[in-house]
Amino acid sequence: MTGSSTITPSGAGATDLVSRLRTVLARRTEGRALALLVVVAIGTIIFEPVAFTSYEVTLGRIALIGLVALGLTAVILMGELDLSVASTLALTGVVMASIDNLVLGILAALVVGLLIGAANAFFVVVVGINSFIATLGMLFFLRGLGFVVSDEQPVRIADVDAGIAFGKPLIGGLTPRMLIFIAVFVLMQIFTTRVRVGREFYAVGGNRQAARDAGIPVRRRIFTGFMISGFVAALAGVINTLERTAADPTAGSTVLLSSFAAAIIGGILLTGGRGSVFGTLLGATSLGILQVALTLSAVQVDVQNIIIGAVLLIAVITDPNSLRAVVGSVRSWLRGRSVATT
Amino acid sequence: MSDGGGSGSGSGVKAPPTLETAAVDTAPGVPQSNGMIGGADEQSQSAVILEWLAERGIFLFTTALVLIAAVFVDGFASLDNITDVFNRAAPIGIVAVGMTFVVISANYLDLSVVAQVATAAVVLIGVGNEAGIPVAMLVALLIALIYGLVNGVAVGVFKANAVIVTLATTFIGLGVLRWASGGSIYFGPQDSLIRRFGTTEIGPFPLSMIALIVIALILQFVLNRTTFGFTVKAYGSNREATRLAGINTAWVVIGAFTLSAIGAMIGGFVLAPYTNTAVSAMSDGFDFEALAAIIVGGTSVFGGRGSVLRTLLGVVFVSVLTNIMVLSGLGFGYQQMAIGALIVLAVSVDALARKAVSS
Repeated sequence: MTGSSTITPSGAGATDLVSRLRTVLARRTEGRALALLVVVAIGTIIFEPVAFTSYEVTLGRIALIGLVALGLTAVILMGELDLSVASTLALTGVVMASIDNLVLGILAALVVGLLIGAANAFFVVVVGINSFIATLGMLFFLRGLGFVVSDEQPVRIADVDAGIAFGKPLIGGLTPRMLIFIAVFVLMQIFTTRVRVGREFYAVGGNRQAARDAGIPVRRRIFTGFMISGFVAALAGVINTLERTAADPTAGSTVLLSSFAAAIIGGILLTGGRGSVFGTLLGATSLGILQVALTLSAVQVDVQNIIIGAVLLIAVITDPNSLRAVVGSVRSWLRGRSVATT
Repeated sequence: MSDGGGSGSGSGVKAPPTLETAAVDTAPGVPQSNGMIGGADEQSQSAVILEWLAERGIFLFTTALVLIAAVFVDGFASLDNITDVFNRAAPIGIVAVGMTFVVISANYLDLSVVAQVATAAVVLIGVGNEAGIPVAMLVALLIALIYGLVNGVAVGVFKANAVIVTLATTFIGLGVLRWASGGSIYFGPQDSLIRRFGTTEIGPFPLSMIALIVIALILQFVLNRTTFGFTVKAYGSNREATRLAGINTAWVVIGAFTLSAIGAMIGGFVLAPYTNTAVSAMSDGFDFEALAAIIVGGTSVFGGRGSVLRTLLGVVFVSVLTNIMVLSGLGFGYQQMAIGALIVLAVSVDALARKAVSS
């Protein structure tokens, strides 16, 4: 579909440029995220410019949505899905708050996140369940575990002062949450574009058999991906718990929607092999600005959920594969009609 | 169950099937006719056992669970409790038998049943109070058809991932419902038809349970004796072949999601009369419990295989399990853990059986 750059119609330099542009654009997957970002940004400037002047709020929201989505990106690149992030976030928060020593608690939470990732990968790789169902079961199991550990009540952290300090700006208006988000983004970007292991994620997602034939340890890569996703979700759980000075076992139900929305709007293909960490950042940014603008315009949470759900639905049916499927079926339908009439 | 899983994983299994290969490579009914049958006897035996467990084990598990509960759990074997189990099981069961078609068509599940059940219940009582029950039922049916069409078109025509699509429609649907209802609780009148439906019992069976059995029988007929049912199975086991056979696959998917939506609507219709109230949060967890029932019932998440009547047994299993936990004083958290573990365990047995058969 995109290889047309070499067979452009001779002559016209304009079409050559157009087709080259098309090739470049077709290779990138962030188009929709960029389009949404532009629309949201313009709309926000016109209707609710406060969302930009109070940029700390907006940045905080972007970090909240984006962090889990960054971890998810690693898994989705390989054509797998991790639905358990929502309860990983809740459970690790509870684990952290249940341990009196702050440092030990944070370490324990992060280890739990890694273990959850490894368990998910075990079911996907060793047992051979597809990841939607495996992580769906884990989503429920871990949520229940969070309720059991916390006795179905919010758990206060022992060191409340540390939590309050954590919520305050550290460097020039940026809170630790935003700094961690930026750090995770940079690490993930480097990992998926410059590090061999990360680049192999694309191969695993693009064509698993070819990746295996090329000597890529596919199973280990999938383990790595799920552990990244679990770790980042645990990090988000720790940050949430610190900022609120308490862990909420019911946390994370909207995280599922917004983090998937961010990743998918960011242009990642659910079948794997295409997408980028940068796209996820764009997706999270546009969603974050959208949410803050809606909140500032006093739009109810229910209506916000409708809007974000609609954005996710539109994003998931407008990825290149879906559009190709629709074009194909419309074509075959038309052909069928013309055959029938002649 | 876990014993069977352990022995299966030890039997030299390698490549995890990717989604596509799992859906395409496996023939629906006859996996034994594989070319490489000359493996060790032991292995094929464990394969047979695993396959039996995955597909028919539900008969054994349900009987065992009910017997254990009757002997060891105080208060289980009373008429009141059994009626209570049925009252809880019926709405989830009706959702599950409808959703079975989505699972058989290899589209994982329909998460949006949560929104659909609550919408149907709120419409039945909320609109029913204003405009009468027939109008309310028509409105609910219209909404169900919209759900079926939106989910079905997104998954069937746009070939989008069913989990993500129905996650999005859940949030849209629940958002619309909460926004329209203001999150308030609707109470039905004390002397209405709805109230009478919810309180009438025949022996230990509430009317809702009888509705479930009738619907399950009808859907079993649809699945096994009609062209549509056959096409859903064919599509679930091999999409490409079904398409090449000249079948309009988009309509198969739309049909499966519409059946699921109608099941969810009726689920809402029988859920509301039980308490004679309706609120947008009343069906939380229905998606998972229905999925657990379907999978435990032996319908394969890999698509192509399944049975509505075994889903019915799965519903009994899940409901009895939840009831035992409630009677034993195990809270909400433990129940969720159990259902999550049940889903993973049942799918694991199915996956290992498939691998053992094909290796």
